[in-house]
Amino acid sequence: MGHGHHIEIKQETFSMPAKAKNFTLIVMVIGLVLSGIGIATIDHNTNGFVAVSAHHDAHTAEAKHEGDHAAGSAKHEAHEGHVASSAEAAHEEHGNVETEAFGPRVTYTSQDKPWATRIWANLLVAGYFFTMVSLCGLFWYAIQYAANAGWSSSIKRVPEAIYTFIPVPFVVLLIAVFMGKNDLYHWAHYEHLHLGPNDAGYDKILAGKAGFLNTPMLFILPSVLVAIWLFLGSKLRALSLAEDSAPKGDTTNFRKSIRLSATFLVIFGFTISIVAWLFIMSVDAHWYSTIFGIYNFATSWVSAISVIAVTVLYLKSQGYLGLVNKEHQHDLGKFMFAFTVFWAYIWLFQYLLIWYAHIPEEMMYYQPRFENHKTMFLANFFINFAMPFLFLLMRSAKRNSNILAVIGVMLVIGHYFDVWFMVFPGVFGNGITIGLLEVGMFLTFAGLFAFWILNNLQKRGLVAINHPYLEESVYHDTGV
Amino acid sequence: MAILDKNLSLRNRNKILVGVWEDEDALVDAAHALVDKGIHIHDIYTPYPVHGLDRIIGVKRSKLARVAFLCGLTGLILMVTMIWYMYVIDWPINIGNKPVRFTPSWIPVMFEGTVLCTAYGMGFFFFWRNRMLFAVKNDLLDDRQTDDRLVVAIETVEGMNEAEVVELMKSKGAVETKEFQAVCK
Repeated sequence: MGHGHHIEIKQETFSMPAKAKNFTLIVMVIGLVLSGIGIATIDHNTNGFVAVSAHHDAHTAEAKHEGDHAAGSAKHEAHEGHVASSAEAAHEEHGNVETEAFGPRVTYTSQDKPWATRIWANLLVAGYFFTMVSLCGLFWYAIQYAANAGWSSSIKRVPEAIYTFIPVPFVVLLIAVFMGKNDLYHWAHYEHLHLGPNDAGYDKILAGKAGFLNTPMLFILPSVLVAIWLFLGSKLRALSLAEDSAPKGDTTNFRKSIRLSATFLVIFGFTISIVAWLFIMSVDAHWYSTIFGIYNFATSWVSAISVIAVTVLYLKSQGYLGLVNKEHQHDLGKFMFAFTVFWAYIWLFQYLLIWYAHIPEEMMYYQPRFENHKTMFLANFFINFAMPFLFLLMRSAKRNSNILAVIGVMLVIGHYFDVWFMVFPGVFGNGITIGLLEVGMFLTFAGLFAFWILNNLQKRGLVAINHPYLEESVYHDTGV
Repeated sequence: MAILDKNLSLRNRNKILVGVWEDEDALVDAAHALVDKGIHIHDIYTPYPVHGLDRIIGVKRSKLARVAFLCGLTGLILMVTMIWYMYVIDWPINIGNKPVRFTPSWIPVMFEGTVLCTAYGMGFFFFWRNRMLFAVKNDLLDDRQTDDRLVVAIETVEGMNEAEVVELMKSKGAVETKEFQAVCK
């Protein structure tokens, strides 16, 4: 601890143990098998959960035609004119017709294989969640530089490895959205109807949002944003690599990293909300929440901290990261604790604002979630707040590697579920369950993510040997 | 020998031996040496934090966290009682047809009350425990301990070889040593 006791700083090279390689591959294979069984067992007369019968006639003609008959009824029924009557019946049975401000939550399909909607929705969740978690790895990296933080410089290779995963889930996300767009987003479906203000079934809200919520925007804007993030990320990574080979005491790369990190943070702050609006909030296109972007940030940020903590603990258990001790672990635990509370704060206040205002059209987000899936709604709160809050409150839990690792894994699972729960009730309405497909999809991506991180860590030394604050990190002490 | 009229929370109010250092590395080594000899160091006063000293001289974990918890609990109970009395018992108002009982709108008040009482409570008890509640008293053993000197205070106990302790401090880099006689006030 004291200055009299010098700790030798030396470079470490990580090589992925065969056990880790096998484990991550087995998790992936199990995930794929479960997903396969899940896909094979979807009832083909449903969209994954709820019964539909597929119509794929010319939308416009049908919508206009049926619109004449549906003059007095909810206008949405008209523009979603090919709604299966069985689906409507199912909804009326659940008695949520009149609670939908914009007509019943209708289940429709625009493709030959309606049951595939569940696959695309799952891929959307997995792709989005892991894109965001990887991105928040870069966010961690940037705030350490922007805040001039010294303590974390001994673990900075871990977030550096995490962010490189972004392209993989993002491609999956784009594929899912490309394939299932019309069934996932009713605005995308509405777009094809090309309705004018005088047509039956014209939707003022969706028409008003069409400038932002349209197909080219859905693909081009996120791709541009991801390209910007990746560009800044690769720049930061290159500076970090250059620092390793630069002479000791040369702080040029460090100073450049600070400037670049600050740039990234400004861009990140504006852009992460846009991605959340486009991919997730637009599932309930009539609804909007001004806090939604930061709610999504909270979810992915807690997960990213947990992933960093678990990875550090794993490396530590394998005898790597000799410079990292209980003090760093304690601070990672504090980070997890702080942002668990932050998530709960945002989670509650999104609800609270809507609850206060009591505006029916704002209720449509919570109606299928709180009224019809109360167990899941409350489980979300317990996994992501109550449980980790009570454990992480204890100093001993934060300093115990096993407890911290278990909580970290729980938080990642919990927040994946959180994103899943943002999407599924919006797409499918009532009757959603967590089946083999959901579990399998998570395991596949989690295994791939773990493999990717560990594999990437092999590519360079584990210690940022020339980081100007490395020594500060070595003697980091949170006190008695 | 100077008379110590300062309240340093001494255990036995015995004589105290004071050593003054200029260099923190030497101080850390000296603290190690003193503790290794079985000498109990009462406290070390430094103008800037020296990492690891608290562990070396065996400072106990602060009870401030428990105080904070109790303050927070007090705030929570206070707020629940307050809203319950105002909103349910004394003056129920129909706001947007919301029920007159516990509702989510209580949560922000409960939360803020908890945070407020925790923050103020911790501040109060911290200053109270450090005898700084109303003003900072002059507790300096050496005038330069707030400037560039590091001061070690050792309370003598029965059977302590004082000369040996002073000699050890000097050999470990103390630039100055002195003695104070504590008085009971």
